[in-house]
Amino acid sequence: MELYELNLHFLLEGLKAKKFSASEIFQSCKRRIDECEGNIHAFITRTDDKEPQTENADGILAGIPTVLKDNLCTKGIRTTAASKILGNWRPPYDATAWKYLREAGAVLMGKVNMDEFAMGNTCGNSAFGPTYNPNDITRVPGGSSGGSAAAVSAGYVPFALGSDTGGSIRQPASFCGVQGLKPTYGMVSRYGLISYGSSLDQIGPFARTVRDLQIIMSVIAKHDPMDSSCFREKNPDFSHKDKVSIKGKRVALVKEFQDFTLDAPIADAMTRTRKILEDEGAIIVEVSLPVVARYAVACYYALAMSEAHTNLERYDGVRYGYTVTDASGVKEMFERVRSYGFGSEVKSRIIAGTCLTEPSRCDEYYVAATKVRTLIAQEFTRAFGETDFILQPVTPSLPSKIGEVDDDEMKGYETDLYTLPVNLAGLPGLSFFTGYAGNLPVGLQLIGPRWSDPELLNAGLILEAHLGTPKIANGGKN
Amino acid sequence: MKLTSEEVNDIALESRLLLTEQELAGAVRYINNFLDMLDRFKELDLQNVEPFSFAEALECPLREDKVNDFSNIQAIFDESEHVDGQFFKVPRIMEE
Amino acid sequence: MAELTFTPVIGIEIHIRLKTDTKIFCSCSTNTDAPANSHICPVCMGLPGSLPRLNHNVVEKGMLAGLALNCTVQPRSLFFRKSYFYPDLPKGHQISQCDLPVVADGYIEVHDANGNLKKIRVNHLHLEEDAAAMHHSASDGRLEGAATSYVDYNRAGMPLGEIVSEPDISSSAEAVEYAMNLQRRVRYAGASDADLDKGMMRFDANVSLKCSDGRWGRKVEVKNMNSFRALERAIEFEIKRQKKILLAGGEVLQETRHWNDAKGVTTASRVKEFYRKFIVEPDLPPLIVNQEWIDKVTAMMPEMPDVKANRYVNDMQIPREVAEVLTDDKNLADYFEACVSAGANPLRAANWVRTEVLRVLNERGQKISEFTISPETLAGLVARVDEGKLSTTQGKEVFDYMCANNSSIDEAIKHLGITEGGIAGNALSEIIASVIAANPDVLEEIKSGKDKKGKKLKFLQGLVMKETKGQAKPQEVAEAVAEAVK
Repeated sequence: MELYELNLHFLLEGLKAKKFSASEIFQSCKRRIDECEGNIHAFITRTDDKEPQTENADGILAGIPTVLKDNLCTKGIRTTAASKILGNWRPPYDATAWKYLREAGAVLMGKVNMDEFAMGNTCGNSAFGPTYNPNDITRVPGGSSGGSAAAVSAGYVPFALGSDTGGSIRQPASFCGVQGLKPTYGMVSRYGLISYGSSLDQIGPFARTVRDLQIIMSVIAKHDPMDSSCFREKNPDFSHKDKVSIKGKRVALVKEFQDFTLDAPIADAMTRTRKILEDEGAIIVEVSLPVVARYAVACYYALAMSEAHTNLERYDGVRYGYTVTDASGVKEMFERVRSYGFGSEVKSRIIAGTCLTEPSRCDEYYVAATKVRTLIAQEFTRAFGETDFILQPVTPSLPSKIGEVDDDEMKGYETDLYTLPVNLAGLPGLSFFTGYAGNLPVGLQLIGPRWSDPELLNAGLILEAHLGTPKIANGGKN
Repeated sequence: MKLTSEEVNDIALESRLLLTEQELAGAVRYINNFLDMLDRFKELDLQNVEPFSFAEALECPLREDKVNDFSNIQAIFDESEHVDGQFFKVPRIMEE
Repeated sequence: MAELTFTPVIGIEIHIRLKTDTKIFCSCSTNTDAPANSHICPVCMGLPGSLPRLNHNVVEKGMLAGLALNCTVQPRSLFFRKSYFYPDLPKGHQISQCDLPVVADGYIEVHDANGNLKKIRVNHLHLEEDAAAMHHSASDGRLEGAATSYVDYNRAGMPLGEIVSEPDISSSAEAVEYAMNLQRRVRYAGASDADLDKGMMRFDANVSLKCSDGRWGRKVEVKNMNSFRALERAIEFEIKRQKKILLAGGEVLQETRHWNDAKGVTTASRVKEFYRKFIVEPDLPPLIVNQEWIDKVTAMMPEMPDVKANRYVNDMQIPREVAEVLTDDKNLADYFEACVSAGANPLRAANWVRTEVLRVLNERGQKISEFTISPETLAGLVARVDEGKLSTTQGKEVFDYMCANNSSIDEAIKHLGITEGGIAGNALSEIIASVIAANPDVLEEIKSGKDKKGKKLKFLQGLVMKETKGQAKPQEVAEAVAEAVK
C-alpha cells in the first residue's frame, strides 16, 4: 500500500509512531498527483514543486498535505476563483481557515479547480477548463468544489477544503465518493473566502472518512473576530469518541420529496441507509417541508444572485487582477475589464442579480425572496422540533457525462433542491458515501439543526461503520 | 412580463458588462426563464412575513477602536498595474 | 394679475466625519495628515475575501451626534449595500445604514426671517463609510492636461454620519444657520471635529419651489458644497434658477446638479444616477444598542450650547450677545467656566474672555486649547482688578505682558513697574477724568473762578480718593486734580 492511499487518521498515527516521515507522505502524494493530474485536471496552481516545510512540526496536522479550493485566499500564492478577472492575483493575506490549518502544520500542495466564483455544479465552468471525475473521467466531478473532491478521491491528498453556497461541497463529495461536510453557517470563519452569496457561503472539509472530517473541523471550527457572522461562544467539541450511538434518535424523511424521481442506485441507497439506521435503534419519522419543496430553489437563486452581483462589483481592474491600461475613460476601463474577465454564467447571474434588485422589481423578487427564506427557516425549525436529523439524497441523479448540459439552466438549478435549502436555513449537512453503482460512487445527505455539526458527524461515523469508506479512485488509469 | 433584449442590455450596461450578440441572446433567455421561476412567489402571502437577514438573532460584534495598520501595504501596491508613486491612477475623470 | 410668489422648500443632507482613531470597518488609522495610500488594508481596499468589522466607537460617536440633534437612539439598526461603479469606491458599493439608521427623529432650531425660533426636524443620522479621495490632477501637481485621475484610498472607509433633515428650511440663511448650529452641536458632543477645511463636513441640498399659483417644482438635489458660503450661494443660485424656469411657465426637472464653486453655478450631473434598492449587507448582522449603552452615552453628553448660553444669561447675568460668543466653541466655554470655578466674578470673567482672550487668540491665529494663560491664572488677574489692586488698564497691561512673555502675574507686575494697590499715573488720571466728567457743573464753578476757598476742588479730590478706595497717595491726588482742572 502506498502512503497516499492512507486516510488522514492513519497518517497521523503512523507519523506519531514514526513508521514513516512527513517527507515520505509528501513524496508519495506528489507522485500520485504527477501520475493522475493529466487525466483529472484538478489543479489551477500547484505549489508542490519543492517540498514545503511545515510551519508547526508539533501541530496536529504536521506535514499533512492538503489542497484548497481556489476561492480561499493564500498569501503570496495566486488565487483565481477560476476566473480570468482575477488574473494572477496574489492575496496579501491568508484565509482564516487556511491560516488555522497552516498553523496546525498542514502543507499546501496547491490550489484546485472550481466553477468560476463557485457558480455552477459541474466544475466545468472554470476559466482553466473542466476537472474530470477520478472515478470515471468521462463524467463531471460535481461542483463547484469539484477540484477539492477530485483531489481527495484520487488520493492526491487525504483532505481538502472547499466552500458550499448551495451544495458545492456536498454534491461533488457525493459525485467523487468522499465524505464532505457543509458546516452550520457561522461555524467556520469566511474571512478570506472570495464571496459568492455571503449569507449562504460556508467553508467545509472533504476527506475519505468521517473521522477525518472530525479532525479537520477541530482545527478550522474556531472563532475568528475577522468574520462578524462567525460564532462567538466556546469552540465546539469535534473530538473523536469510540462509542457513539444513534439509539432513540429520530431521523426524518421529507414527505414532499417522496414523490420525486431518483436514479435507482440513489433510491436503493436511501432504502439501505434507512435499514441501517433502524437496526441501530433510530426511529424513522416523516417531516413535512412544503415551502422548501416548492420555493427553495427560486428563493435560493434569487438571493444568491442578488448578493453575488454586489460581491462582484469590486472587480474593476483598478487595484488587482486582470486589467487594461489603454482605456480612454473609467467607464470604458470597467466595461472592458468585466466583459473580458467574467465568464458567461457569471455574467448571466450578475445581470439577473442586478435585475432583481432594480427599484421596480426589488419588492417583487429580492424582498419577496428574503421573506420566503424566513418561511423556509421557520419550516426547518418546526421540523427539528419533530426530528433530530433529516435523511435525504444529495442529488436525484448520478454524475452526468462531461459536456452533457441541459440548455435550460433552470432545470439544472432544480437538481439542487436537496442541497440548497440547507444553506437557506444555515444548517449543517453531511454528504456521506454509501457505496458504488458500477464504478460510480453514491452519496446521501444527513442534515441536522444549527450547531449540531458534532452530532451529525457522530451519526456519520455509525453509518460509515456499516457502509464502509470509499476506496481511492483509479484517477483515470484503468 | 418578458424582458426585451434592449432591457437586458441596459441592465448589463448598468453592471458594466458589454455582451456579444450571442451572450445577450443567452442572457435574455436566462433572465426570462429565471423570472418565470420566481413568479411562484406570488402564490404565497408574504404580507406579514419579516424579511430574513441572518440565521438567528445574531448581533453585530463590535471592534475596539484601536489602530492596527496593515503591515504589508507594498503587497497591495504590487498587485495593481495602475500605481503611480504613492497613488493609484485611473483614466481621467472630468469633474462634474 | 397678482404677482407670483415662491416659497423655497429645502432639505439638507450633511456628512460629518465621526471622530475615531480607526476607520469604520477596519483597523486602519484615520490620520488625515498621512501620505497618500499609507493607511490601507484588504478591507478598505475591497480585496476579495475581506470582510467588514464595525468599529464600536463609530457607533458611539454616531449616537453622540444624534443625541446632540435631539434624536432618539434606535435599539436595532442594519447596514445595506448601496451600489455604484466609480473608482473611489473599492467594493463597487458603499456600506451604509440607509433607511434603518442608528438614531432618528430629532430637531435643531434656527431663526426664521422674523427672528423667531423655528424647529428644523432631523429625520435621522445614519452611519456609512466614506469613499476614496480623487485628485484630478497629476501627482507632480500639474493641473491641466493630465490624462489620469489619482486615487487615495486613505479616505476609503473613514467613518461618516449622514444627517438628513426634513424639508423644513425656507431660505439660504436658515440653511446656513442650521448647518452652523449642527456643526457646533456635534463638536460639543465630541462626535466630530466637523472641520470644513479638512473635508470633515460636506453638504448636499434638496431644493424645490412652491409657487403661489399652486405649482410645486420637482426636487433638485444639489451636491458638492464644502463650505457654509458654498451652501448659501448654491441654494440662492438654485432658487433663482428654478424661479426663472417657473416664471417662464417651464417645468423644473427632478435631477442631480453639481455646485461649481469657482463659477458659482449649478450644472446638471452628466452621470446618469441609477436608483437601486439596497440589499442587506450580509456580512454585518444587525447592530443592537442596549439601554445600558444608551444610558452611558446619554450621561456622556455635555450641556448643549443653547442651554449653556441660557444658563449664562439667567444665572450669571451675562448679556446674551456675550453668552453666545462664549458658547460658540465648547473649549472657550469650558475655559470661561474654569475661570469662574477658580473664583472669578462671572460677568467680569466673561468680558475678559470675550474681549481680551479672543483678541489675543485672533491676533495669533490660535485656538483656545493653545492659549498659554490658564483659566486659574486669568481668574487671579480678574480678581486683582476686581479687588482694585490693579486698575482695569493695569490689568490689561499685565495680561498683554503675560501673553507676550509667558510670565506669571507677579512677574508682569514687577516688570511693568506697577505698584500694586498704588493707584497712580494713568490709572489715577483715568479716575480723575471720569470724576470730572461726572461733575461738569463743579468744573464750571472752578473754572469760572467762583471756588475762591478751593472747596469745590477739595470736593473733587475727595471724590477721586473715594473712587481709588484710598489707594492713591493724597498728595498726588491733590496735585493731579489741581492740574486737571486748570
